[in-house]
Amino acid sequence: MPLVRVTENTFLVYTSGAIILKENRSEILGKLKELISKIADFEEVNKAVTEALGSEIDPFSLVNALSEALEEVGKKYESGEYFLSELMMAGYLASQVANMLKPYLVRTTTKTFGKIVFGTVKGDIHDIGKNIVIMLLKAAGFDVIDLGVDVPAEKFAEAVREHNPDILAMSALLTVTMPEMKNVIDVLKENGLRDRIKVIVGGRPVTPEFADEIGADGYAEDAVKAVSMVKKLVGVKEG
Amino acid sequence: MEVSMDVPIMEAISGRKFPAAISLQTPVISDRELEKKRCDFIIECYKKVDFDVFTADLSAPEDWKPTINPDGTLIDLWGRVLMFDEQHKAWVPYSTIFNTPEDFENFELPDANAPGWIFAIEYTRKVIGEDAALAAFIRDSFAHAWEMFTPMKFVVWMYKNPHYVKRAIEKLTEFNIQIIKRIAEAGADFIISGGDYCEEKGPMVPIRFFKEVVFPNLKKQVDAAHKKGLKFIKHTDGNIIPILDDLANIVDGLHSLDPTAGVDIGEVKAKYGHKLVLIGNVAVDSLAKKSKAEVIEETKNCIRKASPGGGHILSSSNSWAAGAKLENCLAMVKTGRKYGVYPINF
Repeated sequence: MPLVRVTENTFLVYTSGAIILKENRSEILGKLKELISKIADFEEVNKAVTEALGSEIDPFSLVNALSEALEEVGKKYESGEYFLSELMMAGYLASQVANMLKPYLVRTTTKTFGKIVFGTVKGDIHDIGKNIVIMLLKAAGFDVIDLGVDVPAEKFAEAVREHNPDILAMSALLTVTMPEMKNVIDVLKENGLRDRIKVIVGGRPVTPEFADEIGADGYAEDAVKAVSMVKKLVGVKEG
Repeated sequence: MEVSMDVPIMEAISGRKFPAAISLQTPVISDRELEKKRCDFIIECYKKVDFDVFTADLSAPEDWKPTINPDGTLIDLWGRVLMFDEQHKAWVPYSTIFNTPEDFENFELPDANAPGWIFAIEYTRKVIGEDAALAAFIRDSFAHAWEMFTPMKFVVWMYKNPHYVKRAIEKLTEFNIQIIKRIAEAGADFIISGGDYCEEKGPMVPIRFFKEVVFPNLKKQVDAAHKKGLKFIKHTDGNIIPILDDLANIVDGLHSLDPTAGVDIGEVKAKYGHKLVLIGNVAVDSLAKKSKAEVIEETKNCIRKASPGGGHILSSSNSWAAGAKLENCLAMVKTGRKYGVYPINF
């Protein structure tokens, strides 16, 4: 459906010959972010997403809004404002929204651009961020082997040996589990596997400096940028 | 003392292999001869290390047999799905049979009065004699529900159907109260209630939930223990500072006092030493990664902070895990024997 941007937050949408003014795009996205970050009932969140999708908002913007909401909840957790259960519940809500968005993020290409082995590192059981990135990677034409959560370094190495991927992607939500990413890279080196693949890292506490320090090839601060980073690393042009 | 040791550490201490897998969270051995061997194995190791307190946990009731699923998992008495962790040689919970809160409503909890639950406690008491101190484990009702449902389902149901989660914790509390009575009859000296309330950042659920649900149920269990003349120690890892005031008003002692989560045993001693026994807190990370000299120094520091005036039992900040270096563990005990002598003035 064609969209014409009028102002930053205002779009004209042509529907069945009629012109509908869609205002306050950021308000709709902001509402979704707020509902997740204040741990609202899923029914409310569901309603907001349904409305957003009915407003022809690009589903990738909704994915971004989800990432931003999780980022905010993560910061509140780190600062002690939120408890673990709130962090988990926000993740649950985000995963429910991600499921709603799946049909709108269908694969638009039959080509396969590369293979990725993906997992949350040992000691960390969080997978919402990882699952969102995987959803986008699949939509963008990548084969993804999902190793799940709490993945020991040896299992990452085993998967690289078995699947021969282009990229190994690691996720961590907790500051305390970040060092495990370096451990995985060390185990890859010990097994002579490091040079076969590119390694990317992500997750709320991960920074570009940390990625550099541990010798990763790439880092992305959100799910959409992660897909761009992966495309760049395997030499696929954005478009 | 140590609340527990992983099988690989006990094998290193005893110099022999233990023939069965165990679980720190739930009874998994139904064969009574094997259960005796498990108790003997623990007793032998505790004697060799020269601990002052022996520990024993619940056994499976007599009519229960473990069922191994085709995928190699095991379902325990509480609907937890366990998988085998080779490194620790133990069964660990990772999934659940409960898909909805209603599943739990229809689930028949084990009968606390069935024969056999206190087999290991009675047997251990018989073997160690009347004069040795014996601590008996129960599983905290909050932690039990958290594990039974899996953390994710517990959290989702806690927000969406809080009355179900509350009811589950109450039922598990009722079970514990009955078990505590039987533990007292089996001759244990005190109770240690296992299962975490906190993680590194702080309490795992909002403090309001602790005050409304967790603490009242904890208090019921403590009261049941007191009625039978048993002291009650609560174990929890993590940063307990936000709930320390409440805990100090309910239990007799705390175990772990997790230094990696920022808990300073000296500060806890200063504020609550008059009413709480403190059990801890040489970091398990130190036992695994640091040098023997560093562990000795950390142990001395722990004694300096927590032992003056009494009310301190030296232990690690959790247990002797499979990854710990045995020489570090033994150095901790040796340092305790050398410096943990009153008056503390080194």
